[in-house]
Amino acid sequence: MSLRQSRLSFGPKSALVASASKEGSKTDKATSEKKETSLVAEITSTSATTTADVTMEEDDESSFKIKKRTRRVIDTDDEDEPIALAVEAEISLTQEHREEELTATTKKLKLDPTSPQKPKASSTITKEKTKENVQETVKEVKEKAKAVVEDVVETHSVSEDKEFEEAEKEDEEQEKEAVEIKQAAAKWADMFSKSAGVESASWKKGEPVPYAALCQTFELIEDTTKRLQILDYLVKFLIQVIKLSPESLLTVIYLSINKLCPEYEGLELGIGESLLMKAIAESTGREMKKIKESYAEIGDLGVVAMNSRSNQPTMFKPKALTIPHVFKTLKDIASLSGNSSQKQKVDKIKVLLVSCRNKEAKYLMRSLEGKLRIGLAERTVVVALAQAIVLSRPDIKKLSKEKLQTELEEAASVVKSVYSELPCYDMIVPALLSGDIEGLQKACKLTPGIPLKPMLAHPTKALTDILDRFENIAFTCEYKYDGERAQIHKLEEGSTMIYSRNSENMSAKYPDVMERLYKFAKPDTNSFVLDCEAVAWDREQKCILPFQVLSTRKRKDVKEEDIKVQVCIFAFDLLYLNGESLLREPLAKRRQLLLEHFLEVDGEFAFAKSMNSTHIEDIQTFLDQSVADNCEGLMVKTMDGTEASYEPSKRSRNWLKVKKDYLAGVGDSIDLVVIGAYIGRGKRTGVYGGYLLACYDPEREEYQSICKIGTGFSEQDLEDHHKELKEHVIPEPKSYYVLGESNKPDVWFAPVKVWEIKCADLSVSPVYKAAVGIVDSTKGISLRFPRFIRIRDDKAPENATSSEQIAEMYNDQKLNTVKNDTSMGVDMDFDY
Amino acid sequence: MLEARLQTGALLKKLLEAIKELITDANFDCSDNGIALQAMDNSHVALVALLLRHDGFEPYRCDRSLALGVNLVSLSKVLRCAGNDDIITLKADDTADVLSLTFENTDNDRISEYELKLMDIDSEHLGIPDTQYDAVVQMSSAEFLRICRDLQVLSDSVQIDVTKEGVKFAAKGELGSGAVTLKQSGNVDKEDDSTLIELQQDVSLNFSLKYLVNFTKATPLSTRVSLSMSSEVPLLVEYKMEAGYIRYYLAPKIGEDN
Repeated sequence: MSLRQSRLSFGPKSALVASASKEGSKTDKATSEKKETSLVAEITSTSATTTADVTMEEDDESSFKIKKRTRRVIDTDDEDEPIALAVEAEISLTQEHREEELTATTKKLKLDPTSPQKPKASSTITKEKTKENVQETVKEVKEKAKAVVEDVVETHSVSEDKEFEEAEKEDEEQEKEAVEIKQAAAKWADMFSKSAGVESASWKKGEPVPYAALCQTFELIEDTTKRLQILDYLVKFLIQVIKLSPESLLTVIYLSINKLCPEYEGLELGIGESLLMKAIAESTGREMKKIKESYAEIGDLGVVAMNSRSNQPTMFKPKALTIPHVFKTLKDIASLSGNSSQKQKVDKIKVLLVSCRNKEAKYLMRSLEGKLRIGLAERTVVVALAQAIVLSRPDIKKLSKEKLQTELEEAASVVKSVYSELPCYDMIVPALLSGDIEGLQKACKLTPGIPLKPMLAHPTKALTDILDRFENIAFTCEYKYDGERAQIHKLEEGSTMIYSRNSENMSAKYPDVMERLYKFAKPDTNSFVLDCEAVAWDREQKCILPFQVLSTRKRKDVKEEDIKVQVCIFAFDLLYLNGESLLREPLAKRRQLLLEHFLEVDGEFAFAKSMNSTHIEDIQTFLDQSVADNCEGLMVKTMDGTEASYEPSKRSRNWLKVKKDYLAGVGDSIDLVVIGAYIGRGKRTGVYGGYLLACYDPEREEYQSICKIGTGFSEQDLEDHHKELKEHVIPEPKSYYVLGESNKPDVWFAPVKVWEIKCADLSVSPVYKAAVGIVDSTKGISLRFPRFIRIRDDKAPENATSSEQIAEMYNDQKLNTVKNDTSMGVDMDFDY
Repeated sequence: MLEARLQTGALLKKLLEAIKELITDANFDCSDNGIALQAMDNSHVALVALLLRHDGFEPYRCDRSLALGVNLVSLSKVLRCAGNDDIITLKADDTADVLSLTFENTDNDRISEYELKLMDIDSEHLGIPDTQYDAVVQMSSAEFLRICRDLQVLSDSVQIDVTKEGVKFAAKGELGSGAVTLKQSGNVDKEDDSTLIELQQDVSLNFSLKYLVNFTKATPLSTRVSLSMSSEVPLLVEYKMEAGYIRYYLAPKIGEDN
């Protein structure tokens, strides 16, 4: 017998279920409304359906949905025709009493909500309105179709070289965003010049913002994919917050981006699912088994929590959650550590969960998991913040439309640039609230001790691209070291920090570097921010070691005496020196200051090797040389002028990277056996989200794990694989599967399927067991960035790539990086 | 200003034992009627209401209503320092942020004084409606404790059926099932052990054993316990004391739909 714990309640039965049924009827109404509009739209306009059909050629799921909807609509259309005609006939018959008759019909129809005639009837009556609706719907359909096309383009691109696409996408997005900001600005300007106010909020001035208000905004955001619309919802909400409870603005921003503090402080949520499920189980009295079942089915703990909740009657309703309370509790939960912290965490989550109403549980759970998944990018939050600040100024209605528009655009770009310099809402938000946009730039500047987002480079496919880009511009080439980005900060009071590319504090990882800092900074430097690459260094051979070596270095509690992997810091940029930000200075000046104020120390600190030449031959030689020196390739940067400033967080075209990988291609593909899979979450609910692959060792007759894979699959692939592999699920791994402790899959497969895989390169891994004993006695080899190419039906699992071959490939690769691979860069003409 | 002197300190110790598992922080509401406490557990599934009437203390003084927010774990730690026969005096100023406790032994030659920091607890008083229950079972508290413990071995929930004949506790779990039936008995000789049933209507309800076992922590307070039930309404488990009571309310479990 399965039982569920109800909440304490003294009401009669009807009260117990009241909340649930109310919810139900609401959604019913919503859907019926939706249906109505779509019906109205499609019925009267055949043109709408044709347009929709034309634009729906793509073989994509979402477009499929549209198609389906259209079909349904057409069906109903046919059915409704006679009725509609009848209604019309009736109307014409009773010409004189038209008015009365019509109202009567409407009334009658309204009384019977199940009647399918309603939309048709109303459409006849309000023909004009319908036309408007139709146009709107057509527009919507068109837009959706467009979105679909974009989607398809994006999915296709994933299977291509990921990095390029990423960069291109970023580019596109940046452009798109700029356009969107403009549109949004125009829209708001329009709205305010017509003096339309922002609708009233759900709480009173001075009160803490209710969590429900935020969740409602989240819900709106989640329901749309249009970025402009998302921005619109968020701006509206933020304006309310600024006007009514400005002290909550900072926490609202943090909750919207699902963070607790600036990244470099390192406090993160990301509570494990088992803990969350336990909290759900304990607070609702639902059996763990049931919760697990519905999680496997739905794939979203938020929804599971919400469903577990909304059937749960309460009478003594706990107080509504407020933003400050939720945020504080989340922060407390994240800070808990040590003895019995798990139990305390569950207790705190339970207290929050019990107070959740409607959709709150959903977003609360997702926040706790550390993934909000509502399609709200941090960029959008920043823009929304800027615009909301401008729009909530009291004098805003006096501004002309054009002026307001430019001001909105400016605000967005200012806040964005300030944020990339000083990624700390703790400082930006108060500055915005107390001053205005101009004041922000003065108040918030690059500050040593707070990591800024590093500038990123754009990938190029050939050296000629560089010349195309930098025609008639002074530029310089630098080695692209294969290490870890490191931003070294020194504060005036003497403390030092090292931050990673993602603004994590890595000071604990590099105590040795911190210790040596004084050696390479000249005494006249009292504060600085250096942009560097930390690279593993072989002290005996005096050469650079590959990234894989660096990645074996311990991340936490590194003691200087235990360090096995030595690093050398290669500095290539100076962003701040002695109280002055250098971000807006050209690279030439920054480099000059770098050289002036720092000293090279053999094997510990060096300047990135650079070369200034505009001849393609020189660049080619330099590239070959860089590869020979175990570097990844070259960075090419503009030297002078406004285009040579440091652009934090931007993937800029003023920096180009030329990687040997791009030039040389990825090499042979590998054929591997699928031995396990991981249950899909989110988008991949219902199919497997990732797979565990193995190579075959014919000597020992074992399958050795080599990597997890989750990229390169189309949606169709995922479904097909799921269908096929379901047949081969086995309860226990075969005795001849060899794998590490930490990568046990959720389900096991018998060794039947062979897949062709490509990867970026191979690395030694303590977790995977491929070729164990050949390259390293205990460690195996793993693939970096594996991606699925196709199924190899022609190969039996025993014919999969053997461990020996894997080892060979690994050794070859090492050879390539140590010696210069002569084929590289010489024939530049291959196809991409 | 509150001053309450309790002749048998053990009572307070037992009371704390009876609630501290269920709730962590609570307000002791002191008025001229006595000291009361009402709080729900974290999950809002159970509610505890206890009352110590003023006549249970000698003397009792409370000029103005006071809410003393106490962390129950801390209070029970302090109370552990009191002997079972000690006389306990509770004192608090109207504006105080501490509750002072004085323990005197029976020979009156050892006096210990403790102060416990108070906290602000944000709680609302919940109005519990008077309910005419369909079934009221009065039984031995020790028997109730035993049944709950025994059945917990089998399952995490128990079904309680009350009919004219008696009351049946049944549990069903993965390892098997079990049931204990107590018949209505007119055994006047052993009043403490008899089971008395007042019935308007048969009832059959499911409850979480975890909570019931938690409630039985109050067993030392009284030899008798009463279970009051109506369908769709929380169960009331009441232990009566000489000058007061402790009541637990527990929402029934509902069958899972799927």
